[in-house]
Amino acid sequence: MTDPISMLGAGFAHVLQGGAIFHALWAVLIGIVVGALPGLTATMGVALLTTLTFSMGPNVAMLVLVCVYVGAIYGGSRSAILLNIPGTPASAASTLDGYPLARQGLAGRAMGISTLGSWLGTLFGTMILALFAPSFGEFALQFGSYEMFWVALFGIVIAGSLSGGDPLKGYIAGFLGLLVATVGQEANHAYPRFAFGNTDLAGGLGLLPVLVGVFGVAEVLNSMRGPAVKAVSSKMDSVIPHIRDVTQYWRTILRSGGLGTFIGAMPGLGEDIAAWTSYAAAKRASAEKEKFGKGSVEGLMAAETGESACVPGAIIPVLTLAVPGSAPAAVLMAAMMIHGLNPGPMLAITAPEFIYQIVAMLIIADMVKLVYGLVLVRPLLWVLLIPRARLMPIVFVLCTVGAFAITSRLFDIWVMLGAGLVGFILRELRFSMAPLVLGIVLGDLLDKNLLRGLTLSGGDLTPFFTRPISAVLCALTIFAALWSVPGLMGRLLAPFRRRPAPG
Amino acid sequence: MTAQQAPEEEAESPFSGDRAPLPPRWDLVTAAVLLAFGLGVIALAWNMPTFVEQSQTGLTAPGIVPGFHATVISLLAIVLGLRAVRRGALRAQSAPASHARTDASRLLIAAVLGTVYAGVLVGRLPFWMASALFVFAFTAIFEWELGPKGRPRRLVEAALIGLGTGLAVMLVFERIFLVRLP
Repeated sequence: MTDPISMLGAGFAHVLQGGAIFHALWAVLIGIVVGALPGLTATMGVALLTTLTFSMGPNVAMLVLVCVYVGAIYGGSRSAILLNIPGTPASAASTLDGYPLARQGLAGRAMGISTLGSWLGTLFGTMILALFAPSFGEFALQFGSYEMFWVALFGIVIAGSLSGGDPLKGYIAGFLGLLVATVGQEANHAYPRFAFGNTDLAGGLGLLPVLVGVFGVAEVLNSMRGPAVKAVSSKMDSVIPHIRDVTQYWRTILRSGGLGTFIGAMPGLGEDIAAWTSYAAAKRASAEKEKFGKGSVEGLMAAETGESACVPGAIIPVLTLAVPGSAPAAVLMAAMMIHGLNPGPMLAITAPEFIYQIVAMLIIADMVKLVYGLVLVRPLLWVLLIPRARLMPIVFVLCTVGAFAITSRLFDIWVMLGAGLVGFILRELRFSMAPLVLGIVLGDLLDKNLLRGLTLSGGDLTPFFTRPISAVLCALTIFAALWSVPGLMGRLLAPFRRRPAPG
Repeated sequence: MTAQQAPEEEAESPFSGDRAPLPPRWDLVTAAVLLAFGLGVIALAWNMPTFVEQSQTGLTAPGIVPGFHATVISLLAIVLGLRAVRRGALRAQSAPASHARTDASRLLIAAVLGTVYAGVLVGRLPFWMASALFVFAFTAIFEWELGPKGRPRRLVEAALIGLGTGLAVMLVFERIFLVRLP
C-alpha cells in the first residue's frame, strides 16, 4: 500500500477515527475567532492551543493545531472586511478591497468571496503538498549535516531579506534568534553556554515560552497601546458566493494559489507576504486594474487565495526539511516535536504516512472552514465587538498557562515575560519577527549540524563547500544575501543588460 | 518588492505603525546597544573551554557557534550605525508626537500589570485567584478612562469576568485537558 491514492485514503481513515470531526469543529471555530480578533494572531493561536493538546494523542493534537492554523488565517479577513483592521497580519491585503466592498453595502458578498478564495487557496496548496512533499522528502534524504547547516542558514537569510521591512534589521533579528537558541547545554560536550551557573538556564530557553512571549505578550502590549476598534459595518447582504466568481477569475485563483504555496514553502516568509504578492500579481495581470483598492472582487479573491494557499505551502518544508515556512508553521513544528513526531527528512522513512495524514487534516479543516464561513456571520460580528480591555488580560492568562504547562517550571514564565518585552521592543524598533522566530527554531538545527559535520570531517570545512547539494545551497545563500544589498545586484548585472535601441 | 510595497502603503491597519520610518537616531542607539551586546557575547564565547584534547579540533568548541552569531550581529550593528549616521542621526531631531505619551503610559500600565501577575502573583497565590485579580485589575484600570458614567457597573462586570476567567481556566485546563497549572 504505497501508492499515493491508497495512502491518502489510509490518511483520511486514520485521521477520521475517534471523534475527529468534533475536534475539527471546535478547533476551526477557535481558529476563526482568534484570527478575527485584532491583536490575536494565528501564531499566538497555535502556540496557545498547543498547551491544550498535551494530553491528546499526536493524531488528534495535530488535527486540532492544523485546524486552528487554517481557521485563524481565514478568520483574519472578517475584521479586515468589517473593521478595515486585519485580524492577523496575513489579512492586511484583504482590507484594500474587502473594506471598500463592505462600505458599498456588500459586506456579505465580500465575506463570501473571502470564504471561497480562502477555501480554494487551501485546497490548491494542499494538492501541491500531496503531490510534491513525498518526492521532495525522498530527495531531502540525501541531505547530510553539511546540507542541513546550509538549509538553516539559507532560511535565515531569505527570511531576513524578504520578510518585509528592512533586510539589514531582518538579518540582525535572524541572528539574534539563532543566538537565543544557543543558550543551554550544547550537543557535543554538554557544556552549558551562557548559563552563569543557573541550572534553569543550562536547560536552555524553551521554544514554546519564547514564542508565546514574542507573539502573545508582545501582542497584548501592542494592542493596548493604540486607539480602540471602530464601528462595524451593520449592513449584511447574502454571503453565498456566485459560481461566476470562480469561472470569471479562475486564472487569478490558480495564479494566487501557486504563488501562495510557493511563498509558503520558502522558509519564514509567511502568509502576509503571500497575500501581498498574490494581490500585486493579480493587479498587474488584471483587465480591471482601476477597480483595485476600490472594492475589486478579483483583488480580494487574490489576497485570500494567496494567504490561504500559503498554509499548506508553509507545512511542506516542515515535513521535508524541518524548516518552517512561516511563523505559525514554526509553532506547529515545535508542537510536532513535543508530540514525538520528528519532522524532517527522516519522516519519509520513519512515517511516510504522516504526510498524507496532514493532507487529510488540511482538507478536513478546509471543509469545516467553508461551512463556518457561510453559516457563522452574525456570531462573528459579536465576537469582533469584545472590548480589548476585557479580552487582552484573558489572553495574557492563557499565555502564562501556555508557557508554564510544557515543563511546569516558573522559570518558563519569566522566559515568556522577558521574550515578550524584548520582542515588543524589537518590533517597536522595526525589526521583523519572522526571521527572529525562524532563528530561534533553526538555531538548534544549525548548531547541531555544523558541529556534527565538523566532527565527521575531523574539523575540515571543505565538505561544506564541495559536496554538490552543499555547494548549490551555499551559492543560493550568498546570492540571497547579495540580492538584498541595495544597488549591488543592479551594478553586478549591468554589463549583461541590453541597451535600449535608439529611437 | 516594489510591487508589494505599493499597496502596502495604502492600507490602514494596526500594523501600519510598524512600517512608519523611525528617526535615524533611534537606529544609531539600537546599533550601539547591539554592538555592545555582540561584543559581550563574543567575549563570553571566547572564554568558553575549547575541548581540543577530546575533539582534536578547536572547531567544535562550544564557543564557536555563538561566537559566529555574535560576530555577525556586531558587524551588522556597525553597518546599521553607519547607515543611521549617513541618514542624519547626528543632526538635530524633531520632538516626538504628543500622542506618544498616552501610548507610553498605557503600555507601561499593561507591562507592569503583566509582570506583577506573571512574575509575582503566580506561584504565590492559587492560580485561579491570581488570574481573577489580574483580569479584574487590568479591565478596571483600562476601562476607568471611559468616564464615571456606568463605572460601578463596569467594575462589577470586570470582577465577574475576572472570577469567571480564573475558574474557567482551572476547569478547562486542569480538569478537562489535564494540563498542570502554576
